[in-house]
Amino acid sequence: MRILVVEDEPKVASFIRRALEEESYAVDVCTDGIAGLDWAQAVDYDLIILDLMLPGLPGVEVLKRARAAGVKAPVMILTARSEVDQRVKGLDAGADDYLTKPFAIEELLARARALLRRAGGAPTGILRVDDVVLNPVTREVTRDGQRLEFTTKEYALMEYLMRNAGRVLTRSMIAEHVWDLDFDTFTNVIDVYISYLRNKIDKGRERGLIQTIRGSGYMMRSDG
Amino acid sequence: MNSASIRVRLTLWYGSALALILLLFAVALYLVMSRALREQVDASLDEAAAVAIRTLGEHRFGPFLIFEDLSQDFPEIALLDKFFQIFGPAGQVTIQSSNIQSREIPLSQSAFRASLEGQSTFESVQFKKGVPLRLLSVPIRQGEQLVNILRVGTSLQPTDRMLRRLLVGLYIASPVALLVSLLGGWFLAGRALRPVHAITQAARRIAAGDWSQRILTPHSNDEIGQLASTFNDMIGRLEVSFKQIRQFSADASHELRTPLTITKGETELALRRPRQAEDYRAVLESNLEEIDRMSRIVDELLFLSRADLGEIKLKMVPVQLDDLVREIQQQAMVLGMDRHVQAVLNAVEPVLIQGDDLRLRELLLNLVDNAVKYSYEGQTVELALVVEGSHAKIMVRDHGIGIAPENQARVFDRFYRTDEARAHGAKGTGLGLAICKWIVEVHHGTIELDSTVHGGSCFTVFLPLIPARA
Repeated sequence: MRILVVEDEPKVASFIRRALEEESYAVDVCTDGIAGLDWAQAVDYDLIILDLMLPGLPGVEVLKRARAAGVKAPVMILTARSEVDQRVKGLDAGADDYLTKPFAIEELLARARALLRRAGGAPTGILRVDDVVLNPVTREVTRDGQRLEFTTKEYALMEYLMRNAGRVLTRSMIAEHVWDLDFDTFTNVIDVYISYLRNKIDKGRERGLIQTIRGSGYMMRSDG
Repeated sequence: MNSASIRVRLTLWYGSALALILLLFAVALYLVMSRALREQVDASLDEAAAVAIRTLGEHRFGPFLIFEDLSQDFPEIALLDKFFQIFGPAGQVTIQSSNIQSREIPLSQSAFRASLEGQSTFESVQFKKGVPLRLLSVPIRQGEQLVNILRVGTSLQPTDRMLRRLLVGLYIASPVALLVSLLGGWFLAGRALRPVHAITQAARRIAAGDWSQRILTPHSNDEIGQLASTFNDMIGRLEVSFKQIRQFSADASHELRTPLTITKGETELALRRPRQAEDYRAVLESNLEEIDRMSRIVDELLFLSRADLGEIKLKMVPVQLDDLVREIQQQAMVLGMDRHVQAVLNAVEPVLIQGDDLRLRELLLNLVDNAVKYSYEGQTVELALVVEGSHAKIMVRDHGIGIAPENQARVFDRFYRTDEARAHGAKGTGLGLAICKWIVEVHHGTIELDSTVHGGSCFTVFLPLIPARA
């Protein structure tokens, strides 16, 4: 899951990024409205967290233009003002949720999960493929009741595959949603991580859940 | 008092005054009219008496005057609706016109006595069951001898009827006139008070929070119009200051919320799981920085609100400005050390002004602190102090990010920070220049800004010199 954070106050952006990264999301940060709008259109983000008070271009304007340009990602607005009209303007401009500063970090993460869940179409949030169960809240992954341990990046890749079970995911899609801007697409990092995952979930089983689609990418599927 | 009761009172005052005028008018009219009618009757009696005497004279005052002959000779006498009586010198009736019929209208004592003395007498009499009469008794004398007394009379009934009709007319017309005037007065008072009502309504809506309300002033030159436009002006000014206050408190809460968000976020993030000692240290350092920022905002806000209330007492003493500028340059060197910003003195002239040493120091320190903060790394901050006319001119020039022309007027506003200043990363409260402006103004000086984006800014302060004493 890749998230764009548009926030001008560097320290606020910094702790939001670290909190999200700890939850194994890939995070990009923009510090002004114009860059935020560019990035929102250039990358297919799973969630955009947008401050309303931005230099360059006000947050509401960023949101309107992004929506007009066809950006479908859920948007959570942050506002320092608790004034109702700001929130109403933001929601009317196409925001899906809002949070007023100062906010609790757990609330930010829970709302982010909720927005991602709604976008993914899984109402409870718990993802299942065959006997593999992934809980995004606790970030626990089990297969056949057996708990599996993942690193942050492995987990992020696993969640992305499971959310899109049954769909072919190209390497560039995986790169875009699991890794952030610093990712170098010319390496075989994705293949390496896929092999890590296979080692952990498919080891010792006849049929692997993660399948290689030749020439395209990968897919997670239960029916083998 | 609401407008309705003023309306009632105006109408009542107006009505009472009018009623009094009407009453006086009616009384006067009645009196004048009755007097005029009486005089008219008397004049006609006089005339009839003169005609009768002339006629009698032609008959040589013969005692056997036949009235019918008289009326034949002078038909106008019969038409005059009058009766005639001729009394003998002893006061007894000798002859009378036929229209008296059988009624007895004797000569009164006073009229007889007056006749003896050769004087005419007018009398008004009212006999029982009879009509009111007006009588004129005229003595007819030959030499000193009273021969006859001629009496001419007429009924006062037509006159009385006319007066009664006038009275009835006044009885009916006066209340109608009064009522119409009261209605008119009520209407006019309502009309005159309508703008007052509009003002009340507008004030009420404004009290409910709708600051866009204004009163329409079609007749802007009358008293109510002036009141309305004065009221509108007042609301306009209130609206502006209300908006400023709202903007100010929104800005203040934003500026305080940002450090709060950071400390809260950083702390919560740190507490989510066990961390390394240096991570905790980093969080604490960040928090300390934000706490410092908040306390600076609170201090400066407190200063400005005390300044607004006039609670800041200044100790005005002679200040050697050149010494102060040199000290500030030394401090600027220290401030700029991290970012390799040099502070240089371009010119310093000895200048003595009257001022508060502490506040002037604060003013200059704020300006050089800004200059250092918004300078590009490795640039210089230039300070100069010269005398220009009757003022000391202090210049603080930096070579930094600069301020766009459209923002230059606003940098002295509280909490106003340009986007560039925010993006530059230097921690400011947005209150420093507002404080500078206040300090300059309490010293009766001015502060000017000259700036180009990426070219740097130059703040120039003019402070009045101590007037030279001869």
